[in-house]
Amino acid sequence: MPDAEVQDRVGAGLDALDPPTTRTDGPRWRGFARGFLPPIGALVVFIVVWQVLWAAAIWPEYQLPAPLTVWSRLADLFSSGQIVEVLWTSVSRAVLGFLAGVVIATPLGLLVAKVRVVRAAIGPLLSGLQSLPSVAWVPAAVLWFGLKDASIYFVVLMGSVPSIANGLVSGIDQIPPILPRVGKTLGASQLSAARHILLPAALPGYLAGLKQGWAFSWRSLMAAELIAHSPDLGLGLGAYLNQGSSYNDMPTVMAAIFLILLVGVGIELLVFRPVEKAVLRARGLTGATA
Amino acid sequence: MTATLSSSEQVQSATAVELTGVGKIFGRGQQAVAALDGVDLSVAPGEFVCLLGASGCGKSTLLNLVAGLDAPTVGRITLNTSRPAVMFQESALMPWLTAGRNIELPLRLAGFGRADRQAKVAELLDLVRLGGSANKRPHELSGGMRQRVALARSLAATQRVKGSDEPALLLMDEPFAALDAITRDVLQGELLRVYERTATAVLFVTHDVREAVRLGQRVVLLSSRPGRVVQEWSTQDNDGEDVTAEITARLREVISTHAGR
Repeated sequence: MPDAEVQDRVGAGLDALDPPTTRTDGPRWRGFARGFLPPIGALVVFIVVWQVLWAAAIWPEYQLPAPLTVWSRLADLFSSGQIVEVLWTSVSRAVLGFLAGVVIATPLGLLVAKVRVVRAAIGPLLSGLQSLPSVAWVPAAVLWFGLKDASIYFVVLMGSVPSIANGLVSGIDQIPPILPRVGKTLGASQLSAARHILLPAALPGYLAGLKQGWAFSWRSLMAAELIAHSPDLGLGLGAYLNQGSSYNDMPTVMAAIFLILLVGVGIELLVFRPVEKAVLRARGLTGATA
Repeated sequence: MTATLSSSEQVQSATAVELTGVGKIFGRGQQAVAALDGVDLSVAPGEFVCLLGASGCGKSTLLNLVAGLDAPTVGRITLNTSRPAVMFQESALMPWLTAGRNIELPLRLAGFGRADRQAKVAELLDLVRLGGSANKRPHELSGGMRQRVALARSLAATQRVKGSDEPALLLMDEPFAALDAITRDVLQGELLRVYERTATAVLFVTHDVREAVRLGQRVVLLSSRPGRVVQEWSTQDNDGEDVTAEITARLREVISTHAGR
C-alpha cells in the first residue's frame, strides 16, 4: 500500500484531472446575435410579405389594412396616453390573478403530489381542467358574479391554477427518490423536507408550470375581457379589441392583437426565461440554453 | 446505577448498535421474499465493521433498517448513537446547492447558528481535502469529489447542537462501487484517514472482499436469500492476504450453494 504522501499526491492529481471542464460562452455580442437576430429577421420578412399582399390588393382594405395604418393606430394609442390605461387594466389584472393562482395552486399541488387520497380524488379533475378552455367559464362567471372584476378573476384563476398545480405535481414526481431518502437521513422533518428538499428539487417542473400558468392567465383574461365588457370593467386590451371589432375597425383589431402578443411574449422573455435559465444552469442542466 | 455516573460512561460500556434476531420479509403470502433472517450483529463505538455478501444478501436492506428508513419484520435494533448518517452509492447531493451548502444542509436542519455552521463546513471541507471547492456545484465536481462531499455531509449529519455524548454511527452502502479503480483506492485511504480522526463507528456494506479487508476491523459475511450471518473475521491480527483468500473462498462457497436451485 502506498504511503500517505504518495496517496495524497495521487488524490490531488485526480482532483485536477477528473472534474468535467465547463464550457465558457463566447463574447456577449455573439449571444445577442444568436438570440435576437433570427426573430428580428422573421419579423422583417413577415412585414414585407404583409406589405406585398396589401399592395397586391387581393383583399379589401377593411380586411387587410397596410402595416403603416396599423402602426399609426398604435402610435395614436401611445401619443394619446390611452395605452397606459389599456395596458395597466389588463396587465395588473393578469399579474394579480396569476399571483393569486400561485398562492392557491402551490399548496394544492403539494397536497395532490404527496397525499395519495387527494391525488386519486382530484388529480384527474385537475388534468381535465387544464384542457378545458377557460373561456367556457365566462358565461358561468358572469351569471355568478355579474359583470364585475370578480368574474374576470375567477376565469383567470380557473385558467392558471390547474397549470401551476400540475406543473408542481410533475416536478415533484420527477424528483429522484434518493433525495427525499437522503433528506430523511439528514434529519429533515416533514415540513423542513418540503422546504429544503421537495420544493427546490421540484423547482424546474414548478417553473415550467408557472410559465404555462402565466400563459393561461393571460389567455383567459383576454377571453374574459373580450366576452364580458361593461363600463364597470374599465377598458382593458380585450375590451379594446372588442371595440375595434364592433366598429369594423381592422387597424384597431390588429393593433390590439399585436399588443396582446407583445405582453405575453414580453413577460415570458423578461421574467420567466431568465429565471428558468439561471435555475437550470445552476444544476448543470444546460440543454435549455441552446 | 448511581446518579454520579455520567451518561458518557454508560455509552462507552455499551455497543453503538445492536441487532438481535432481525428479519425482514418483503411482500405477503405467495410472493413474500425473506430478505433477512435472524441476523445478530453488534458494532462497538468507534469500530469499523464491513458487511460483505453477494447480490441479494440483503446488505442494503440491513443498512436501511439501521438507518430507520425501513422497519424490521421481526427482531430488535438498538441504537446507542445519535441518528446514524448514511452514505449511498450515488453521492445524492442536492444539485441546486454548492458543495459547501450541501454540507451545511444537515447542520441547518439540526438548528445550528450561522457562524457555527460556517466554521463546521470549513472544517469538514478541509477534512475531505476540498477546501477550495466550497462554491462548486455538484455537476462541476468529479465522481470522487462528489463522494467526498457526501462523506463530509454525512459527518455533518452526526453533529448535534448541544454536543451530546452519544457516539456517532456512519452507515455506508457501497459508496465507492461506482468509481474507477484508482479513485476508489484513493478514497478508501481518505476514508480511513477521516475515520481515524473522527472516532465514529462505521458499518460499511460492500461486495468487494479486498475493500472489506482493507477498511474493516471486522468483516461479516452474509449469505443470500435470505441474508444470514455466515461467519466473521477479525482483520486486526491476521495477515491481510491470508484472510482475503479465506474470505473469498468462503464467499464462493456461499454463492455456489445457490447454483442447484
